[in-house]
Amino acid sequence: MNADANRGFSGGGQFGRASQVFVALALAGLLVTGTSSARPPQATAKSTVVAHKAPPTKATIATTAPTKTYGSPNAPIKLEIFTDYQCPICQVFYEQTLRYMISDYVASGKVYVVHHDFPLVMHQYSGQAARWANAAATVGEFEAVEAAFYNNQAAWTADGNLAKYVVAAMPKSDFDRVQAIMKDCTTPAPQVTTPGADPLAKSGTSCPVDQYIAKDIQLGNQDGVNATPTFIIYHNGQKITQSSGNVSWPILKQFFDTLLK
Amino acid sequence: MDAQSRAKSGRILLILGRVALGVIFLVAAWSKLKPVLPGQSWSVSSVETSLAMFAMGVDSYQMVSSGTASTIAHVLPFFELVLGLWLTSGIGLRISSLISTLAICAFIYAMFSAWRRGLTINCGCFGQGGPPIGPKEMMRDGFIFLPLSIALVVGSFVVNRKPQSSSTGEAIPVAQTGG
Repeated sequence: MNADANRGFSGGGQFGRASQVFVALALAGLLVTGTSSARPPQATAKSTVVAHKAPPTKATIATTAPTKTYGSPNAPIKLEIFTDYQCPICQVFYEQTLRYMISDYVASGKVYVVHHDFPLVMHQYSGQAARWANAAATVGEFEAVEAAFYNNQAAWTADGNLAKYVVAAMPKSDFDRVQAIMKDCTTPAPQVTTPGADPLAKSGTSCPVDQYIAKDIQLGNQDGVNATPTFIIYHNGQKITQSSGNVSWPILKQFFDTLLK
Repeated sequence: MDAQSRAKSGRILLILGRVALGVIFLVAAWSKLKPVLPGQSWSVSSVETSLAMFAMGVDSYQMVSSGTASTIAHVLPFFELVLGLWLTSGIGLRISSLISTLAICAFIYAMFSAWRRGLTINCGCFGQGGPPIGPKEMMRDGFIFLPLSIALVVGSFVVNRKPQSSSTGEAIPVAQTGG
């Protein structure tokens, strides 16, 4: 460091005084922005990054669509599923069919699974569960949360404590990011009411993941989904069948095998 | 209307009834066996795919194991095909109508069981698609198909389908029992 710079930081001369003022102003600015919690969410998010070097902000996460798929999009068979995490039959479908499909036909590139949320209004916590799942999906933890929800459905259905199972399903750093998304999700979650109804009517747009749930609901309404689970099977891009209810893995596998011949 | 006219009317109604019920079973069989893939033509492979798809429908009732569901799915369409042809032919109508009545009762029971358990599934009676099982579908089977089948059973026992003639060659009134 040269003499001029030393002089500037040692406080001697106009340059030194100016630099001191500049540093003081900068520190004051950091102090002010770091403690401003009363500002609107967008401003808080920016200052949080600057002051605390936090993980990606809510605004950044909100623009990343959640990935709720299993397998390769190039698989010859595509299975689109519309489910509700609080639906008992959906749980049976997950436990008795989807899990085996994922470890077998999805893993071998035969089937590509696309999950869509279709939370029914009759299930009190299904909308909130969909929010958690979508938030987890934005950080790449959808599979873990889906498994956690279905494995513990009876428990969280009783008390609505979903966070307990989400936190246990992922590393803390991922949970912190998920929680950062969920902190603005305080309004009623989007759920399926009547076809054509706006899923965001009660939830508003404050929760970043609600738009994805709403999109899934609208897609389901478009496809005439009226129950969960409903699955739509495509083969080489063509829709083959749409069915609702549970189907066991051996039966579904048998059908897939005829398509793959 | 004299006895001869009544007998003739009875025979005509019996023919219409068995043909109608026979066609219903034939349509049911065809809907389960027809190719389901776009652009696919009839072949052994297409039938295999169709039967595998029907198996999903049977399995969705959650009444039997997956193995049994697969077996039912592979047998039922051919059973309906044979029964449809049998009814339409009129041969052994008493037995065929009894069997069709029992079959329809079984279908109604399965639909009622699924509906009572809150399963929102398709009937699968005439192929994939259609509305979920509900009172409408059960009423269709319960108030149209079943009465038709029962009427055939009764009619096959009561109505003599072949007109009888006396030793002089004159037609005589048909007996109302037996035949």
